[in-house]
Amino acid sequence: MAQKTILIAEDEIAMVEALSKKFEKEGFKVIKANDGEEALKIALESKPDILMLDIIMPKMDGMELLKKIREDDKWGAGVPIIMLTNLSDADNVSEAAKFQVYDFLVKTDWRLDDIVNLVKQKLNL
Amino acid sequence: MKTSFKLSDRILLIVVFFSTIFVLTSFFVIRGSLTQILALGGLIYILSFLTAYFISWSFSQRIIRLNFKMQEMAAGNLSQRVKSLKNDEIGQLTNSLNELMGRLQTGVAQDVSKHHELAKAKTDFVAIASHQLRTPLSIIKWYVDYLVAGDAGDINKEQEKYLKEVYKSNERLIELVNALLDVSRIDVGTFSIEPEPTDIIERAESALKKFMPEIKAKEIHLIKEYGQFPRLLLDPRLIKMVFNNIFSNSIKYIPRKGTIKISIKKTERDIYIKISDTGCGIPREEQPKIFTKLFRGINAKKIESVGTGLGLYIVKAIVEKSGGKIWFHSPSLELLLDAGEKDADVPLDKRNRGTTMNITIPLKGMRKKPGSKKLNSSEY
Repeated sequence: MAQKTILIAEDEIAMVEALSKKFEKEGFKVIKANDGEEALKIALESKPDILMLDIIMPKMDGMELLKKIREDDKWGAGVPIIMLTNLSDADNVSEAAKFQVYDFLVKTDWRLDDIVNLVKQKLNL
Repeated sequence: MKTSFKLSDRILLIVVFFSTIFVLTSFFVIRGSLTQILALGGLIYILSFLTAYFISWSFSQRIIRLNFKMQEMAAGNLSQRVKSLKNDEIGQLTNSLNELMGRLQTGVAQDVSKHHELAKAKTDFVAIASHQLRTPLSIIKWYVDYLVAGDAGDINKEQEKYLKEVYKSNERLIELVNALLDVSRIDVGTFSIEPEPTDIIERAESALKKFMPEIKAKEIHLIKEYGQFPRLLLDPRLIKMVFNNIFSNSIKYIPRKGTIKISIKKTERDIYIKISDTGCGIPREEQPKIFTKLFRGINAKKIESVGTGLGLYIVKAIVEKSGGKIWFHSPSLELLLDAGEKDADVPLDKRNRGTTMNITIPLKGMRKKPGSKKLNSSEY
Protein backbone atom coordinates (compact mmCIF):
# COMPACT_ATOMS: atom_id res chain seq x y z
CA MET A 1 0.00 0.00 0.00
CA ALA A 2 1.32 3.46 -0.92
CA GLN A 3 2.73 5.48 1.94
CA LYS A 4 0.28 8.11 3.16
CA THR A 5 1.34 11.71 3.67
CA ILE A 6 0.22 13.90 6.53
CA LEU A 7 0.85 17.62 6.84
CA ILE A 8 1.17 18.91 10.40
CA ALA A 9 0.78 22.69 10.73
CA GLU A 10 1.90 23.61 14.25
CA ASP A 11 4.14 26.37 15.55
CA GLU A 12 5.15 24.62 18.77
CA ILE A 13 8.29 22.70 17.80
CA ALA A 14 8.05 20.16 20.65
CA MET A 15 4.53 19.26 19.56
CA VAL A 16 5.43 18.87 15.90
CA GLU A 17 8.29 16.61 16.95
CA ALA A 18 6.14 14.38 19.16
CA LEU A 19 3.43 14.08 16.50
CA SER A 20 5.77 13.54 13.58
CA LYS A 21 7.86 10.91 15.39
CA LYS A 22 4.69 8.99 16.21
CA PHE A 23 3.29 9.21 12.69
CA GLU A 24 6.65 8.28 11.12
CA LYS A 25 6.85 5.25 13.39
CA GLU A 26 3.42 4.26 12.10
CA GLY A 27 4.65 4.45 8.52
CA PHE A 28 3.43 7.88 7.47
CA LYS A 29 5.38 10.46 5.49
CA VAL A 30 5.22 13.64 7.58
CA ILE A 31 5.43 17.17 6.21
CA LYS A 32 5.89 19.87 8.85
CA ALA A 33 5.00 23.55 8.68
CA ASN A 34 5.53 26.03 11.50
CA ASP A 35 3.17 28.77 10.36
CA GLY A 36 -0.04 29.13 8.38
CA GLU A 37 1.46 30.68 5.24
CA GLU A 38 4.14 28.03 4.96
CA ALA A 39 1.53 25.34 5.54
CA LEU A 40 -0.70 26.70 2.75
CA LYS A 41 2.17 26.87 0.28
CA ILE A 42 3.39 23.35 1.05
CA ALA A 43 -0.12 21.92 1.13
CA LEU A 44 -1.01 23.24 -2.32
CA GLU A 45 2.30 22.00 -3.74
CA SER A 46 2.49 18.55 -2.19
CA LYS A 47 -1.23 17.75 -1.76
CA PRO A 48 -0.96 15.49 1.31
CA ASP A 49 -3.57 12.79 2.05
CA ILE A 50 -4.65 14.42 5.31
CA LEU A 51 -3.93 17.64 7.22
CA MET A 52 -3.70 18.38 10.90
CA LEU A 53 -3.96 22.09 11.73
CA ASP A 54 -3.32 24.07 14.88
CA ILE A 55 -5.35 27.29 15.26
CA ILE A 56 -3.01 29.80 16.86
CA MET A 57 -0.08 30.14 14.47
CA PRO A 58 2.02 33.04 13.20
CA LYS A 59 1.38 34.74 9.84
CA MET A 60 -1.93 32.95 9.18
CA ASP A 61 -4.04 31.21 11.78
CA GLY A 62 -5.47 27.72 11.38
CA MET A 63 -9.03 28.88 10.71
CA GLU A 64 -7.94 31.09 7.81
CA LEU A 65 -5.67 28.33 6.55
CA LEU A 66 -8.64 25.94 6.62
CA LYS A 67 -10.75 28.35 4.54
CA LYS A 68 -7.95 28.94 2.01
CA ILE A 69 -7.42 25.20 1.54
CA ARG A 70 -11.14 24.67 0.98
CA GLU A 71 -11.04 27.42 -1.68
CA ASP A 72 -8.91 25.10 -3.83
CA ASP A 73 -11.79 23.37 -5.57
CA LYS A 74 -9.87 20.37 -6.90
CA TRP A 75 -7.76 18.89 -4.12
CA GLY A 76 -8.45 21.23 -1.18
CA ALA A 77 -12.23 21.00 -1.24
CA GLY A 78 -12.24 17.31 -0.37
CA VAL A 79 -9.03 16.61 1.56
CA PRO A 80 -9.68 15.42 5.14
CA ILE A 81 -8.68 18.02 7.73
CA ILE A 82 -8.42 17.60 11.49
CA MET A 83 -8.16 20.64 13.75
CA LEU A 84 -5.84 19.94 16.68
CA THR A 85 -5.84 22.83 19.11
CA ASN A 86 -6.19 23.91 22.70
CA LEU A 87 -8.84 26.49 21.84
CA SER A 88 -12.11 24.71 22.45
CA ASP A 89 -14.45 27.66 21.92
CA ALA A 90 -17.82 26.81 20.47
CA ASP A 91 -17.27 29.65 17.97
CA ASN A 92 -14.24 27.96 16.46
CA VAL A 93 -15.83 24.51 16.56
CA SER A 94 -18.97 25.63 14.72
CA GLU A 95 -16.98 27.77 12.28
CA ALA A 96 -14.71 24.81 11.51
CA ALA A 97 -17.76 22.56 11.06
CA LYS A 98 -18.93 24.83 8.23
CA PHE A 99 -15.74 23.92 6.37
CA GLN A 100 -16.26 20.17 6.81
CA VAL A 101 -13.42 19.34 9.17
CA TYR A 102 -13.23 15.64 9.96
CA ASP A 103 -12.77 16.29 13.66
CA PHE A 104 -11.95 19.05 16.13
CA LEU A 105 -9.58 17.78 18.82
CA VAL A 106 -8.49 19.43 22.06
CA LYS A 107 -4.83 18.48 22.45
CA THR A 108 -4.92 17.87 26.19
CA ASP A 109 -7.78 15.37 25.76
CA TRP A 110 -5.98 13.16 23.24
CA ARG A 111 -3.20 10.61 23.55
CA LEU A 112 -0.81 10.25 20.61
CA ASP A 113 -2.01 6.69 19.93
CA ASP A 114 -5.62 7.81 19.72
CA ILE A 115 -4.73 10.63 17.34
CA VAL A 116 -2.89 8.19 15.06
CA ASN A 117 -5.82 5.75 15.22
CA LEU A 118 -8.27 8.49 14.27
CA VAL A 119 -6.18 9.42 11.23
CA LYS A 120 -5.85 5.77 10.20
CA GLN A 121 -9.59 5.32 10.56
CA LYS A 122 -10.25 8.27 8.28
CA LEU A 123 -7.79 6.99 5.68
CA ASN A 124 -9.17 3.44 5.99
CA LEU A 125 -5.78 2.05 7.02
CA MET B 1 -37.83 82.70 39.35
CA LYS B 2 -41.01 81.66 41.07
CA THR B 3 -41.28 82.93 44.64
CA SER B 4 -43.10 80.67 47.07
CA PHE B 5 -43.81 80.71 50.74
CA LYS B 6 -43.07 77.95 53.22
CA LEU B 7 -46.05 76.01 54.62
CA SER B 8 -45.52 77.55 58.08
CA ASP B 9 -45.32 81.08 56.53
CA ARG B 10 -48.58 80.57 54.66
CA ILE B 11 -50.48 79.50 57.79
CA LEU B 12 -49.00 82.41 59.70
CA LEU B 13 -50.04 84.79 56.90
CA ILE B 14 -53.58 83.44 56.91
CA VAL B 15 -53.85 83.89 60.69
CA VAL B 16 -52.42 87.45 60.48
CA PHE B 17 -54.66 88.31 57.50
CA PHE B 18 -57.90 87.14 59.10
CA SER B 19 -56.98 88.60 62.53
CA THR B 20 -56.35 91.99 60.89
CA ILE B 21 -59.70 91.85 59.06
CA PHE B 22 -61.34 90.92 62.34
CA VAL B 23 -59.76 93.82 64.27
CA LEU B 24 -60.39 96.40 61.50
CA THR B 25 -63.97 95.28 60.93
CA SER B 26 -64.67 95.31 64.68
CA PHE B 27 -63.44 98.88 65.12
CA PHE B 28 -64.34 100.67 61.93
CA VAL B 29 -67.23 98.82 60.35
CA ILE B 30 -69.36 97.15 63.00
CA ARG B 31 -68.71 99.37 66.01
CA GLY B 32 -71.41 97.24 67.45
CA SER B 33 -72.23 94.95 70.25
CA LEU B 34 -70.13 92.26 71.83
CA THR B 35 -72.40 89.59 70.29
CA GLN B 36 -71.77 90.92 66.78
CA ILE B 37 -68.00 90.98 67.41
CA LEU B 38 -68.09 87.43 68.80
CA ALA B 39 -70.12 86.21 65.76
CA LEU B 40 -67.67 87.84 63.40
CA GLY B 41 -64.76 86.32 65.39
CA GLY B 42 -66.35 82.87 65.05
CA LEU B 43 -66.80 83.30 61.30
CA ILE B 44 -63.20 84.46 60.86
CA TYR B 45 -62.03 81.51 62.98
CA ILE B 46 -63.89 79.02 60.77
CA LEU B 47 -62.62 80.67 57.55
CA SER B 48 -58.99 80.64 58.71
CA PHE B 49 -59.31 77.02 59.89
CA LEU B 50 -60.76 75.87 56.56
CA THR B 51 -58.12 77.72 54.52
CA ALA B 52 -55.24 76.32 56.64
CA TYR B 53 -56.78 72.85 56.44
CA PHE B 54 -57.06 73.06 52.65
CA ILE B 55 -53.43 74.16 52.28
CA SER B 56 -52.19 71.35 54.59
CA TRP B 57 -54.32 68.80 52.74
CA SER B 58 -52.91 69.89 49.40
CA PHE B 59 -49.36 69.51 50.84
CA SER B 60 -50.15 66.02 52.15
CA GLN B 61 -51.47 64.95 48.77
CA ARG B 62 -48.30 66.10 47.05
CA ILE B 63 -46.16 64.28 49.65
CA ILE B 64 -48.17 61.09 49.18
CA ARG B 65 -47.73 61.34 45.40
CA LEU B 66 -44.01 61.98 45.85
CA ASN B 67 -43.67 59.02 48.18
CA PHE B 68 -45.44 56.80 45.65
CA LYS B 69 -42.97 57.81 42.92
CA MET B 70 -40.03 57.30 45.31
CA GLN B 71 -41.18 53.75 45.99
CA GLU B 72 -41.14 53.08 42.25
CA MET B 73 -37.59 54.44 42.12
CA ALA B 74 -36.57 52.30 45.09
CA ALA B 75 -37.96 49.28 43.26
CA GLY B 76 -35.37 49.91 40.56
CA ASN B 77 -37.12 52.19 38.10
CA LEU B 78 -34.25 54.66 38.01
CA SER B 79 -35.59 56.47 34.94
CA GLN B 80 -38.65 57.60 36.95
CA ARG B 81 -38.88 61.39 37.43
CA VAL B 82 -41.34 63.52 39.42
CA LYS B 83 -42.93 66.63 37.89
CA SER B 84 -42.92 69.72 40.06
CA LEU B 85 -44.99 72.84 39.21
CA LYS B 86 -44.22 74.86 42.32
CA ASN B 87 -40.99 75.96 43.86
CA ASP B 88 -41.94 75.48 47.50
CA GLU B 89 -40.31 72.96 49.88
CA ILE B 90 -41.92 70.02 48.07
CA GLY B 91 -40.94 71.49 44.71
CA GLN B 92 -37.34 71.85 45.91
CA LEU B 93 -37.36 68.33 47.40
CA THR B 94 -38.70 67.01 44.09
CA ASN B 95 -35.97 68.78 42.11
CA SER B 96 -33.27 67.44 44.44
CA LEU B 97 -34.71 63.94 44.13
CA ASN B 98 -34.77 64.16 40.32
CA GLU B 99 -31.15 65.31 40.36
CA LEU B 100 -30.18 62.47 42.70
CA MET B 101 -31.88 59.89 40.49
CA GLY B 102 -30.12 61.30 37.44
CA ARG B 103 -26.75 60.90 39.12
CA LEU B 104 -27.64 57.46 40.43
CA GLN B 105 -28.74 56.32 36.99
CA THR B 106 -25.48 57.47 35.41
CA GLY B 107 -23.53 55.85 38.25
CA VAL B 108 -25.37 52.55 37.91
CA ALA B 109 -24.90 52.57 34.14
CA GLN B 110 -21.17 53.16 34.66
CA ASP B 111 -21.02 50.41 37.30
CA VAL B 112 -22.80 47.93 35.04
CA SER B 113 -20.50 48.65 32.12
CA LYS B 114 -17.49 48.47 34.45
CA HIS B 115 -18.76 45.14 35.79
CA HIS B 116 -19.12 43.81 32.23
CA GLU B 117 -15.65 45.03 31.34
CA LEU B 118 -14.19 43.35 34.43
CA ALA B 119 -16.06 40.12 33.77
CA LYS B 120 -14.87 40.11 30.17
CA ALA B 121 -11.28 40.85 31.21
CA LYS B 122 -11.49 38.01 33.70
CA THR B 123 -12.83 35.51 31.19
CA ASP B 124 -10.34 36.63 28.53
CA PHE B 125 -7.55 36.22 31.05
CA VAL B 126 -8.68 32.74 32.02
CA ALA B 127 -9.09 31.73 28.37
CA ILE B 128 -5.62 32.96 27.47
CA ALA B 129 -4.06 31.53 30.63
CA SER B 130 -5.78 28.20 30.03
CA HIS B 131 -4.58 28.05 26.45
CA GLN B 132 -1.06 28.88 27.53
CA LEU B 133 -1.21 26.25 30.27
CA ARG B 134 -2.70 23.58 28.04
CA THR B 135 0.14 23.82 25.54
CA PRO B 136 2.94 22.66 27.90
CA LEU B 137 0.51 20.19 29.51
CA SER B 138 -0.16 18.54 26.14
CA ILE B 139 3.58 18.43 25.41
CA ILE B 140 4.21 16.65 28.74
CA LYS B 141 1.30 14.29 28.09
CA TRP B 142 2.49 13.31 24.63
CA TYR B 143 6.16 12.86 25.50
CA VAL B 144 5.45 10.79 28.60
CA ASP B 145 3.03 8.74 26.53
CA TYR B 146 5.73 8.34 23.88
CA LEU B 147 8.28 7.19 26.47
CA VAL B 148 5.90 4.80 28.25
CA ALA B 149 4.94 3.22 24.90
CA GLY B 150 8.64 2.43 24.44
CA ASP B 151 8.74 4.47 21.23
CA ALA B 152 11.99 6.13 22.31
CA GLY B 153 13.61 2.88 23.41
CA ASP B 154 13.06 0.32 26.14
CA ILE B 155 12.45 1.51 29.70
CA ASN B 156 12.69 -0.57 32.83
CA LYS B 157 9.82 -1.23 35.26
CA GLU B 158 10.95 1.45 37.71
CA GLN B 159 11.19 4.10 34.99
CA GLU B 160 7.77 3.08 33.71
CA LYS B 161 6.30 3.42 37.20
CA TYR B 162 7.71 6.94 37.64
CA LEU B 163 6.64 8.04 34.20
CA LYS B 164 3.12 6.85 34.91
CA GLU B 165 3.13 8.97 38.06
CA VAL B 166 4.15 12.00 35.97
CA TYR B 167 1.35 11.18 33.54
CA LYS B 168 -1.23 10.92 36.33
CA SER B 169 -0.21 14.24 37.89
CA ASN B 170 -0.28 15.89 34.50
CA GLU B 171 -3.79 14.58 33.91
CA ARG B 172 -4.83 16.14 37.23
CA LEU B 173 -3.43 19.47 36.14
CA ILE B 174 -5.28 19.23 32.82
CA GLU B 175 -8.51 18.51 34.67
CA LEU B 176 -7.91 21.48 36.99
CA VAL B 177 -7.24 23.87 34.10
CA ASN B 178 -10.38 22.64 32.33
CA ALA B 179 -12.43 23.05 35.51
CA LEU B 180 -11.12 26.60 36.05
CA LEU B 181 -12.00 27.45 32.48
CA ASP B 182 -15.50 26.06 33.01
CA VAL B 183 -15.97 28.03 36.22
CA SER B 184 -14.98 31.24 34.46
CA ARG B 185 -17.48 30.45 31.66
CA ILE B 186 -20.20 29.79 34.24
CA ASP B 187 -19.41 32.99 36.16
CA VAL B 188 -19.48 35.14 33.05
CA GLY B 189 -22.50 33.30 31.67
CA THR B 190 -20.96 32.49 28.29
CA PHE B 191 -21.43 28.72 28.38
CA SER B 192 -23.94 27.18 26.03
CA ILE B 193 -26.57 24.46 26.53
CA GLU B 194 -27.36 22.67 23.28
CA PRO B 195 -30.14 20.11 23.80
CA GLU B 196 -30.58 17.31 21.25
CA PRO B 197 -32.41 13.96 21.41
CA THR B 198 -30.30 11.98 23.88
CA ASP B 199 -30.47 8.58 25.54
CA ILE B 200 -29.98 9.49 29.20
CA ILE B 201 -29.27 5.88 30.30
CA GLU B 202 -26.54 5.57 27.66
CA ARG B 203 -25.01 8.82 28.97
CA ALA B 204 -25.02 7.52 32.56
CA GLU B 205 -23.50 4.19 31.49
CA SER B 206 -20.90 5.93 29.38
CA ALA B 207 -19.85 8.05 32.39
CA LEU B 208 -19.80 4.99 34.62
CA LYS B 209 -17.54 3.06 32.23
CA LYS B 210 -14.60 5.35 33.03
CA PHE B 211 -14.84 4.42 36.72
CA MET B 212 -15.23 0.64 36.28
CA PRO B 213 -11.59 -0.22 37.11
CA GLU B 214 -11.92 1.65 40.44
CA ILE B 215 -15.35 0.16 41.14
CA LYS B 216 -13.88 -3.32 40.66
CA ALA B 217 -10.76 -2.56 42.70
CA LYS B 218 -12.83 -1.29 45.63
CA GLU B 219 -15.37 -4.11 45.21
CA ILE B 220 -18.20 -1.58 45.18
CA HIS B 221 -21.69 -3.02 45.03
CA LEU B 222 -23.59 -1.21 42.24
CA ILE B 223 -27.37 -1.10 42.19
CA LYS B 224 -29.02 0.34 39.07
CA GLU B 225 -32.67 1.21 38.75
CA TYR B 226 -33.39 2.62 35.31
CA GLY B 227 -36.81 3.57 34.02
CA GLN B 228 -37.86 3.42 30.37
CA PHE B 229 -37.17 6.64 28.52
CA PRO B 230 -37.66 7.92 25.01
CA ARG B 231 -34.79 10.08 23.76
CA LEU B 232 -34.93 13.31 25.73
CA LEU B 233 -33.82 16.80 24.74
CA LEU B 234 -30.57 17.01 26.70
CA ASP B 235 -27.13 18.41 26.03
CA PRO B 236 -25.23 15.11 25.81
CA ARG B 237 -21.90 16.62 26.93
CA LEU B 238 -23.38 18.41 29.91
CA ILE B 239 -25.50 15.55 31.22
CA LYS B 240 -22.45 13.30 31.05
CA MET B 241 -20.44 15.93 32.96
CA VAL B 242 -23.11 15.87 35.66
CA PHE B 243 -22.93 12.06 35.93
CA ASN B 244 -19.13 12.11 35.81
CA ASN B 245 -18.85 14.53 38.70
CA ILE B 246 -21.39 12.83 40.95
CA PHE B 247 -20.01 9.32 40.26
CA SER B 248 -16.48 10.55 40.82
CA ASN B 249 -17.41 11.90 44.27
CA SER B 250 -19.27 8.74 45.27
CA ILE B 251 -16.45 6.45 44.18
CA LYS B 252 -13.66 8.59 45.62
CA TYR B 253 -15.09 8.77 49.13
CA ILE B 254 -16.57 5.31 49.51
CA PRO B 255 -14.82 2.59 51.54
CA ARG B 256 -14.11 -0.88 50.16
CA LYS B 257 -17.23 -2.97 49.63
CA GLY B 258 -19.48 0.06 49.85
CA THR B 259 -22.73 0.44 47.91
CA ILE B 260 -23.72 2.94 45.22
CA LYS B 261 -27.28 3.04 43.97
CA ILE B 262 -28.11 4.85 40.73
CA SER B 263 -31.76 5.47 40.05
CA ILE B 264 -33.04 7.28 36.95
CA LYS B 265 -36.81 7.44 36.81
CA LYS B 266 -39.65 9.48 35.43
CA THR B 267 -42.01 11.54 37.55
CA GLU B 268 -45.03 13.41 36.29
CA ARG B 269 -42.98 16.35 35.04
CA ASP B 270 -39.32 15.47 35.50
CA ILE B 271 -36.54 13.02 35.03
CA TYR B 272 -35.54 12.18 38.57
CA ILE B 273 -31.91 11.14 39.05
CA LYS B 274 -30.96 9.83 42.47
CA ILE B 275 -27.45 8.67 43.29
CA SER B 276 -26.92 7.30 46.79
CA ASP B 277 -23.72 6.00 48.34
CA THR B 278 -22.42 4.66 51.62
CA GLY B 279 -19.40 6.99 51.52
CA CYS B 280 -18.07 9.35 54.17
CA GLY B 281 -21.02 11.73 53.81
CA ILE B 282 -21.03 15.49 54.38
CA PRO B 283 -20.71 16.82 57.96
CA ARG B 284 -23.83 18.75 58.91
CA GLU B 285 -21.99 22.00 59.65
CA GLU B 286 -20.40 21.94 56.18
CA GLN B 287 -23.53 21.12 54.24
CA PRO B 288 -24.47 24.72 53.37
CA LYS B 289 -21.14 25.15 51.59
CA ILE B 290 -20.92 22.11 49.37
CA PHE B 291 -22.02 23.84 46.16
CA THR B 292 -19.63 26.75 46.61
CA LYS B 293 -16.47 27.17 44.59
CA LEU B 294 -13.29 25.44 45.82
CA PHE B 295 -15.02 23.94 48.84
CA ARG B 296 -13.93 20.49 50.03
CA GLY B 297 -15.28 18.76 53.12
CA ILE B 298 -12.88 18.26 56.00
CA ASN B 299 -13.54 14.50 56.06
CA ALA B 300 -13.21 14.32 52.27
CA LYS B 301 -9.74 15.91 52.44
CA LYS B 302 -8.63 13.23 54.91
CA ILE B 303 -9.67 10.46 52.54
CA GLU B 304 -8.43 12.02 49.31
CA SER B 305 -6.05 14.96 49.43
CA VAL B 306 -6.48 15.70 45.74
CA GLY B 307 -9.56 17.48 44.42
CA THR B 308 -10.43 20.81 42.88
CA GLY B 309 -13.57 21.58 44.87
CA LEU B 310 -15.14 22.78 41.62
CA GLY B 311 -17.14 19.73 40.51
CA LEU B 312 -20.36 20.31 42.41
CA TYR B 313 -20.28 24.04 41.65
CA ILE B 314 -20.18 23.18 37.94
CA VAL B 315 -22.88 20.50 38.32
CA LYS B 316 -25.21 22.89 40.11
CA ALA B 317 -24.73 25.55 37.42
CA ILE B 318 -25.47 23.05 34.63
CA VAL B 319 -28.56 21.64 36.34
CA GLU B 320 -30.05 24.98 37.34
CA LYS B 321 -29.32 26.75 34.04
CA SER B 322 -31.01 23.81 32.29
CA GLY B 323 -34.18 24.42 34.29
CA GLY B 324 -33.60 21.58 36.78
CA LYS B 325 -33.01 21.28 40.52
CA ILE B 326 -30.32 19.68 42.65
CA TRP B 327 -30.31 18.86 46.37
CA PHE B 328 -28.84 16.27 48.67
CA HIS B 329 -29.28 14.34 51.88
CA SER B 330 -26.47 13.29 54.15
CA PRO B 331 -26.71 10.95 55.99
CA SER B 332 -28.24 8.95 53.20
CA LEU B 333 -30.98 7.11 55.05
CA GLU B 334 -31.90 4.96 52.10
CA LEU B 335 -28.66 2.98 52.02
CA LEU B 336 -27.67 3.40 55.66
CA LEU B 337 -30.56 1.31 56.87
CA ASP B 338 -29.20 -1.62 54.85
CA ALA B 339 -25.59 -0.84 55.76
CA GLY B 340 -26.55 -0.51 59.40
CA GLU B 341 -27.38 -4.19 59.59
CA LYS B 342 -23.93 -5.08 58.34
CA ASP B 343 -22.24 -2.56 60.65
CA ALA B 344 -24.18 -3.52 63.74
CA ASP B 345 -20.98 -3.72 65.78
CA VAL B 346 -19.73 -0.26 64.69
CA PRO B 347 -20.87 2.61 66.96
CA LEU B 348 -23.31 4.98 65.24
CA ASP B 349 -20.96 7.99 65.24
CA LYS B 350 -18.19 5.95 63.60
CA ARG B 351 -20.34 4.67 60.76
CA ASN B 352 -20.24 6.26 57.33
CA ARG B 353 -23.03 8.70 56.77
CA GLY B 354 -23.44 8.33 53.04
CA THR B 355 -24.89 10.89 50.65
CA THR B 356 -27.85 10.94 48.30
CA MET B 357 -27.68 13.42 45.43
CA ASN B 358 -31.03 14.25 43.86
CA ILE B 359 -31.35 15.91 40.48
CA THR B 360 -34.42 16.70 38.46
CA ILE B 361 -34.50 17.82 34.84
CA PRO B 362 -37.79 18.74 33.17
CA LEU B 363 -39.17 15.97 30.94
CA LYS B 364 -39.58 18.53 28.17
CA GLY B 365 -35.78 18.72 28.19
CA MET B 366 -32.95 21.04 29.12
CA ARG B 367 -33.53 24.72 28.54
CA LYS B 368 -31.52 25.84 25.50
CA LYS B 369 -28.96 28.48 26.36
CA PRO B 370 -27.03 30.24 23.63
CA GLY B 371 -23.43 30.99 24.45
CA SER B 372 -20.07 31.26 22.78
CA LYS B 373 -18.25 28.69 24.94
CA LYS B 374 -18.68 25.01 25.72
CA LEU B 375 -17.96 23.53 29.10
CA ASN B 376 -15.34 20.84 28.84
CA SER B 377 -13.90 19.80 32.17
CA SER B 378 -14.90 16.19 31.69
CA GLU B 379 -14.08 14.19 28.66
CA TYR B 380 -17.09 13.77 26.37
